[in-house]
Amino acid sequence: MSLNELAFKLNAHLTAEDTRFDAVLAESGVLEVICSNNEEFPINIVKTDTQLLAITPLFNVNEVKPEQVNELNEELLLISPAIPLSAIGRQGDSYILFGAMALDTLFENIVHELEVQAENTIDVLQVIEPLLL
Amino acid sequence: MGILKNILTAVRGGASEVGESIVDANAVRILGQEIRDAQDAIAKAKQSLTGLKASEIKLKREINSLESDIGSYESKAVQALEAGNEALAVEVAERIAEIESEAAEKGAEHSALSAQVNKINSMIRQREKTIQKNGRELEKIKTVEQLQKATSSMSTNFAATNASEHRVSKALERVKKKQVNWEDRMEAGEWMEGEASGDDLDRKLKDAGIGANASSGASSVLERLKKKSGQ
Repeated sequence: MSLNELAFKLNAHLTAEDTRFDAVLAESGVLEVICSNNEEFPINIVKTDTQLLAITPLFNVNEVKPEQVNELNEELLLISPAIPLSAIGRQGDSYILFGAMALDTLFENIVHELEVQAENTIDVLQVIEPLLL
Repeated sequence: MGILKNILTAVRGGASEVGESIVDANAVRILGQEIRDAQDAIAKAKQSLTGLKASEIKLKREINSLESDIGSYESKAVQALEAGNEALAVEVAERIAEIESEAAEKGAEHSALSAQVNKINSMIRQREKTIQKNGRELEKIKTVEQLQKATSSMSTNFAATNASEHRVSKALERVKKKQVNWEDRMEAGEWMEGEASGDDLDRKLKDAGIGANASSGASSVLERLKKKSGQ
């Protein structure tokens, strides 16, 4: 399934938990998806030869209280196992939450992953919010 | 090639700017070239393997035919001996010896060919492993590149909103507010449903003459007025 097709299907879909999606394929080739259960932190989807990557940008390192960056990193490592469907990482100065799916993943499973990722984003941010500026 | 180490070095070196390549373009090119070379070599090896395998099968068939000739001549030699024709038996025995020597030659050739086929087969498997390994390495690079692409679009968003303090807290607050709104709406929906079913129940009770005020409506008003005027 191309990202364009995925966008089309997502826009027409409503999950069992009443989550809707607003998906737009940007010129850069990144599919930007806003889940109605978390409209503040969109998920960016990109495609490689073998997988779909779903990335939620969280915050920049300069948004962390400077003296608490190490503490934040440790908290993120501790939280990670609790959200096995999503991984937390750093891309340059940006902290991201991301998941990977095989290219032949069923649409229903992609939807589930996105819904869970949007929820995980809120959960993670709520935990580390006190460490942010 | 430890591509992850390479990637980490590049990232630490600050290759996180938009459009900047994560890994040395040369390394990627070499990796891609290695994959293509291995694929070419496999294609060639498979082609020569087909030829060798055909020769091997042909030799095996010839050996089988020689062995069956030997069997047939052996029984004929026995028949000649039984018939007391020793001279003919000797002639047949000589023929058998000739065929046996030919079969042995072909047998040796067949073994050598089989060994070669096995060698090429294992070489193909080795090359296929190399392709898979390099493919995985290349996939890692592409993954990081795609991640960078997806992240860079938000980096600019961050930059735009950096001026506002507590960006994440405010966003979380909005999410929470929306969730509360949604829960309120759900609750309202449930209330409406409850009301609707309650109305329904009241109607049923009234129809059944239970709980309904018998002196309701105009008659009760009239009665009330009469009482009032009587005072």
